Amino acid sequence: MKKWWQDLDSVLRGSATTPAGLENGDIPVSARGLLVVITILGMFYGLCMGCYGLLKVGGPNYWQMLATTIKVPMLFLLTLFITFPSLYVFNALVGSRLHAHSLLRLLMASLGVTLAVLSSLGPIVAFFSACTTSYHFMILLNVLVFSISGFLGLSFLLQTLQRLTIYNVAPSATEDENEAKFKGALDPTLRPIHFRVKTVFRCWLVVFSLVGMQMAWILRPFIGAPSRPFTWFRDRESNFFEAVFQSILALFS
Amino acid sequence: MKNFFRKMDSILRCSSELKKEKFSSSFYLHMFAYIFLWSFLYGACMGTYGGVWGERGWQLLFSACKLPLLFTLTFFLSLPSYFILNTLAGLREDFSQVMASLLYTQVGLNIILFSFAPLTVVWYLSVNSYSAAVLFNCFAFAVASLSAQILLKKFYQDLIFKDRKHLILLRVWIFLYAFVGIQLGWVLRPFIGTPNTSPQFFREEAWNNAYIIVLELIWKFLAK
Repeated sequence: MKKWWQDLDSVLRGSATTPAGLENGDIPVSARGLLVVITILGMFYGLCMGCYGLLKVGGPNYWQMLATTIKVPMLFLLTLFITFPSLYVFNALVGSRLHAHSLLRLLMASLGVTLAVLSSLGPIVAFFSACTTSYHFMILLNVLVFSISGFLGLSFLLQTLQRLTIYNVAPSATEDENEAKFKGALDPTLRPIHFRVKTVFRCWLVVFSLVGMQMAWILRPFIGAPSRPFTWFRDRESNFFEAVFQSILALFS
Repeated sequence: MKNFFRKMDSILRCSSELKKEKFSSSFYLHMFAYIFLWSFLYGACMGTYGGVWGERGWQLLFSACKLPLLFTLTFFLSLPSYFILNTLAGLREDFSQVMASLLYTQVGLNIILFSFAPLTVVWYLSVNSYSAAVLFNCFAFAVASLSAQILLKKFYQDLIFKDRKHLILLRVWIFLYAFVGIQLGWVLRPFIGTPNTSPQFFREEAWNNAYIIVLELIWKFLAK
């Protein structure tokens, strides 16, 4: 268990993704361990997010809290599960050297970054959930927090991919220089990566974000509207963007 | 006692003596004790508005307890995300120094605030309206937090010199701290206590969102 948290720590510090560490074209972390860590962090954030239901009119809503605790890790893992096959296939098609297991580790590591940021913002979200009655404010705050962590996680993914490809293209000459330059996990590299691989990953990022948002919409309610009774899932209606837009309108009027 | 004041002085001057400090657990304990002490004292002064005798004495005690609560809770709510962001930026090795800078600034902020205490009491004695009392405290907090930002920048100077990324993170910290602090300050009201009402630790209607209220006020103003 301790080893898994150390894996996450080395990913966050960037020590797992230094050019020397990526020698075999693979990130030296355990995907299974990261899966467990991601699930725990997701559950923690779910718990913080579900705090809103505690102060509902007509008594605390523990079911909503439980549902959110389960749903947040589900959201990330299901999105990964749905988008992984297409990424792998296109990645292989354009001739990238990343194998299935290294690709999975790379994605797990970037989800690890996303969830670490997400859960670190959890206490703030829990505090605001506990003392806010406005449902729309909570929706927008959560969307903001998810966007920040998603953005950082996906930038990590692109940076690490860049480093992996640098190694594959130019293995040794600039290694020491690189070592000195890449102190953090998000520090940019100078050398461009292969155009096709980059395009595939960029497209995948868009698909991943869209699927993630839609998945969040299917799995809703996460926060639980105070005026509506608790249900595990809601009927199909509207879509993610329209709902966020409505919340912005509701908050500013 | 002399040592204590010398230490406070060196924090305000951001002197080089502080760099020799070892970041052990006793260091952190001392820092929190200083923060608690100064904010407790200023909180007590804040609570003297309606008088100090009889029932109003409770308000003094409540305010004195709430101010340290405000500063420490805000600090601890913002810390986890700041820690993760520092790690992600590759600045984990500097984190003990970052923590020390943040704590020194907190102490500094509270000393600056406390320096307003006599002025606050005189102000309370010379004005007769509650809103004037609130206004003066707003002024004191604004001056203290702006000066504390300058202090924080001074403490961060070495770090920024080492790595420019610290400057961006410093801004993130200020944003996070203010975002949480404003809401927590709102929840922990009243700090001064409306005169002619019995003292209370929390207000019944305090559990709402400060930002929503500001938005509503702006909206009402525009709709006029």
